[in-house]
Amino acid sequence: MSGVGRVGVLLRAIDYSKCMGCETCEVVCGFIHELGPFIRLYEIGGGVRRPISCFHCSRAPCVEVCPTGAMRRDSQGAVYVEFSRCIGCMACLYACPFGIPDYSPTTKTSVKCDLCSDLRREGLTAACVAMCPTRAIIIGEPRAIGDEMKRRALLRVVHLGDT
Amino acid sequence: MKFAFLCKERTRSSGAKVAVVGAGPAGLAATGYLVCRGHEVDVYDKLPLPGGMMTFAIPKYRIPLDAVMEGVEDLQKNFGVKFYLSTKVVCGERHDEGDELARNNVDLTKLVEGYNAVLIATGTWRSRRLGVPGEDAENVVSALEFLLKLNLGRLGLLEGKLWSFRRVVVVGGGLSAIDAAEESLLSGAQEVYLVYRRTIKEAPAGEYEIDRLIRLGVRWIELAAPKSIVVENGRARAVEFQRMKLGEPDETGRPRPVPIPGSEFTLEADLVIAAIGEIPTPPLAPNCGDLVKYVGKDGRVLVDRGYRIPGTNIFAAGDVVTGPSKIGQATKQGLEAAREIDRLLSAKILVTAR
Repeated sequence: MSGVGRVGVLLRAIDYSKCMGCETCEVVCGFIHELGPFIRLYEIGGGVRRPISCFHCSRAPCVEVCPTGAMRRDSQGAVYVEFSRCIGCMACLYACPFGIPDYSPTTKTSVKCDLCSDLRREGLTAACVAMCPTRAIIIGEPRAIGDEMKRRALLRVVHLGDT
Repeated sequence: MKFAFLCKERTRSSGAKVAVVGAGPAGLAATGYLVCRGHEVDVYDKLPLPGGMMTFAIPKYRIPLDAVMEGVEDLQKNFGVKFYLSTKVVCGERHDEGDELARNNVDLTKLVEGYNAVLIATGTWRSRRLGVPGEDAENVVSALEFLLKLNLGRLGLLEGKLWSFRRVVVVGGGLSAIDAAEESLLSGAQEVYLVYRRTIKEAPAGEYEIDRLIRLGVRWIELAAPKSIVVENGRARAVEFQRMKLGEPDETGRPRPVPIPGSEFTLEADLVIAAIGEIPTPPLAPNCGDLVKYVGKDGRVLVDRGYRIPGTNIFAAGDVVTGPSKIGQATKQGLEAAREIDRLLSAKILVTAR
């Protein structure tokens, strides 16, 4: 658990240059999480709908601001809510620049994406990442995310012709 | 895409066998769920590759082929899923778009007998027709037919020739119209017109997508509907359009396009693409007997809340149940239907084990 040993950093990036708003991420997340979905699409005008969810920030304001230590980081680095400690004050929501944490009337706590910790424990990846048809959602260590986003930026600029 | 996103490999066997008809997002998501629950799955599809619309209709710049194929290979290698491709499953007789690619035919009733459950996820492989004189000309095609042939060509699977075109007129305002227009442009068309009977505000594709195409060079004409196709020697030479104005709201809540008399104009074209919607194509043709009563007037399969045709081991999910939707909604249907199938099979296994 957090505070013990080395805690990794696991980031999520959503490549909006690839996303086509197909809703698969939201659907698979909702299918496996009773309290979810924790990644959802919003209409932002012009008929465009795009997903947003927790980016698992490395200096997460939600973790900093949580008065009970309920908002924490798992050993791989994903930010999650420890329900038994959460009092549902939603300080995390106000602290989050992306408005990510939701209040669940079922658990009376803050709820949010934990990057499918159950699946990751089995050596699998988060459902939204696994099923995105455009590979727009990626998770990984900061270096890997940075490398992948830069490689994609190059592919947009440098045309190799028909491949 | 890892369709079996809930497990790494098959660890147990339930002894039950499921046939999935249609290898699009609904069918493949269902397959992924079912194999993780230990069931054996065979997938049937009339086209030569799995993926359905993801492989054969949606442009590759949106969904790369290997994103679909990596998930298919995972199902084959790690879960023993067998794919029967180029195989059309049907009960009775009916011709849909893409059927000419099927090499084998399988009777749906045989699958119903041979498997513990059958999931129908055959999507919407028939296009609405314009309903105007001249639309039978050889260079008047549906968006689906156009995108299918284009993709077959790129995959090296096309028999015969692709149309050659310089001036393309696309009729419609949905995402198929967008994809057909953009693909025409990318395939070397000199001029591409996108014509819609309402305004950009009502277009199902949304203003952003249409503005994007306009920036790419597509000419957008709104408030016009085709009246006839001008045909010479069996080939369309132009499309005659009539201007529309917006009237009272129709049953969909959108303003009804009302023709303006005497406002006709023509656009020359050497390829006319009708992108005005697709219709569900369940493997239940009109001469299939009793099961036909579970096909609605609009072609959709009528299932109960458990995605099941009542009293049978046949389930249906995806666009064949809902009509055209997005990959996400088809995936949702596939997953939920698979969960229902698993419940049924698990209950049966419990009963037999007693």
